[in-house]
Amino acid sequence: MAIIEADGLSKTYRVFQKREGVLGALRGLFHREYKEVRAVDRVSFTIEPGEMVAFLGPNGAGKTTTLKMLSGLIDPSSGSASVLGFTPWKRDDAFRRRFALVMGQKNQLWWDLPASDSFMLHKEIYSIPEAQFQSTLDELTELLEVKHLTRQAVRELSLGERMKMELIAALLHQPSVLLLDEPTIGLDVVAQVRIQNCLREYHKRRGVTVILTSHYMRDVEALCDRVLVITRGKLVYDGLLSGIHDRFAGMKLVRLEFFESVPEGLERYGEISRIEGPVVDLKVDRDRVAEALGAILDGHAVADLSVQDPPLEQVIARVFEEGRSDHEAA
Amino acid sequence: MIDRTLRHARLIASLGRYTLAREMSFRGNYLVKLSVELLWLFILLAFYKTVFMKTSTVATWTEPQYLFFVGCHFALNGLIETLFMDGCVDFTELVRTGDLDFILLKPMDEQVLVTCRKIDWGTSLNVVMGGVVMALALYQMNWRFDPVRAVAFVVTFVCGTAIAYSFMLALTSFSVWLVRNQSLMEMWWLFSSLARYPREIFRSLAWAEPLSFLFTYILPFLLVVNVPANVMVRVFDPATVAFTLAATAASLWASRMFFRRALRSYRSASS
Ligand SMILES: Nc1ncnc2c1ncn2[C@@H]1O[C@H](COP(=O)(O)OP(=O)(O)O)[C@@H](O)[C@H]1O
Ligand SMILES: [Mg+2]
Repeated sequence: MAIIEADGLSKTYRVFQKREGVLGALRGLFHREYKEVRAVDRVSFTIEPGEMVAFLGPNGAGKTTTLKMLSGLIDPSSGSASVLGFTPWKRDDAFRRRFALVMGQKNQLWWDLPASDSFMLHKEIYSIPEAQFQSTLDELTELLEVKHLTRQAVRELSLGERMKMELIAALLHQPSVLLLDEPTIGLDVVAQVRIQNCLREYHKRRGVTVILTSHYMRDVEALCDRVLVITRGKLVYDGLLSGIHDRFAGMKLVRLEFFESVPEGLERYGEISRIEGPVVDLKVDRDRVAEALGAILDGHAVADLSVQDPPLEQVIARVFEEGRSDHEAA
Repeated sequence: MIDRTLRHARLIASLGRYTLAREMSFRGNYLVKLSVELLWLFILLAFYKTVFMKTSTVATWTEPQYLFFVGCHFALNGLIETLFMDGCVDFTELVRTGDLDFILLKPMDEQVLVTCRKIDWGTSLNVVMGGVVMALALYQMNWRFDPVRAVAFVVTFVCGTAIAYSFMLALTSFSVWLVRNQSLMEMWWLFSSLARYPREIFRSLAWAEPLSFLFTYILPFLLVVNVPANVMVRVFDPATVAFTLAATAASLWASRMFFRRALRSYRSASS
């Protein structure tokens, strides 16, 4: 049985268009102009218990909005969803005890107080038994290496340390579903890796179901097998990370090393991206790779060859780019 | 149900402890606030003293009765401001920044979390001061202890607090649509001034009569202080008490519905 299910989930915001200047503002008083923003457009997917899924997309694609609907913060304009068997925006207490949402750009801890005070409050809110509270807290502070920082006022922590505290606060009540919205945004590589490791380890230990949004490929590659790609509010891909190549990368990278110099006429098989001595890099259409290699091997003496997918980062960047240019044209 | 109520009570108590701890670390601020409130009470009392030097009754209220009324108003207002005011004022900011998200995520009643989150200990002594003024008034009029009146007073005082709370909650809810809501405080001030006078003031003028009707039966502000004060030191009218109970239930219900409706329009500021 799926633990998270979205069916035709959509959210349209009506945004008031401000006019420029005083005169414009005055006119705006009488005649308001609105623009409809389709933040999320008929998104459907299901996620099984224990999965760790990445939600990938450029800025403004609708990732956060989708997570907000799944956590019940906002009502959808249409469509339905079920998380842990509940309709999120009905906000049952039983539902809210069993999931957590962490947003990299917002903080819920008390700014002026040490994180441990906020943790105590969470203990109260979720009625966490003392023993369980202590053991979870110990486990998490150890995993994230922040044991020595919990008594320090939150405003005196670095961004990375603060994010770790946010993560601890979200996991104290041992949620079965964890939604993470850009948990590593703005962090340096070391802190990013530390948080990735913690998430992976925690996921392994507890089997928690995770959706993670990010526009860093590194997070996604480190943590998730399955990705959902969303651009302009629409789900454009749902499948294995490795399958993104087949879907979006039209070509493979073929590297050939000849015994002598690179022969003429290789453009026939694909685009030449680099020639260095006897080595050549060719971009070949996926469906023509076998054919091209056959022809080349037949005609020339080849010392070495390799066939590779282009770097995922590039592929995704192209998908994003397409999404963006369509967006601007629309 | 009982378990849920207890959970909320415990949470409010811990939040209260936290705010008290913080208030204590800003003691200077606390003292300033306290002296302003004391000064305000003295101005009120001096004003009524002056009025009663010229006349023996104001709108059928004698001096000690009126003193009781003032004390009742002061205590009730203080109670509301202590328990709910800061949380409600803060709500606008929560909506604007999108931090309301974190309240909506908690397995607690949203209304309780929003309105009871910030206990303002700075105004808590107003309740005590109001109590002292009421006691003084009872002493002046040689009030003889009457258990029925005393119980009815406590009940209607709680009702008055609940009606005022409902009104504040309704005002608060508007911030979801307005996003900026500086008028909350002004509207509250208007309300609190309306509740500060005996209802009979509106009765003595023909053109004010519709106002009296409006603020008794439609927006029942005039029940807030008037009914407990009347019940205690003037006529004890069971029908009025019954009506007040009904009006309280209706206000609480309506404001809760309105608050829920407002939450459904919450858009959660983009992040
Ligand atoms: N509260 C809001 N009011 C109006 N428009 C919004 C609001 N939140 C998001 N949007 C719009 O919806 C779209 C999707 O936003 P979002 O879900 O935050 O994207 P992402 O998280 O993928 O970067 C954007 O175009 C954004 O401008
Ligand atoms: Mg986002």
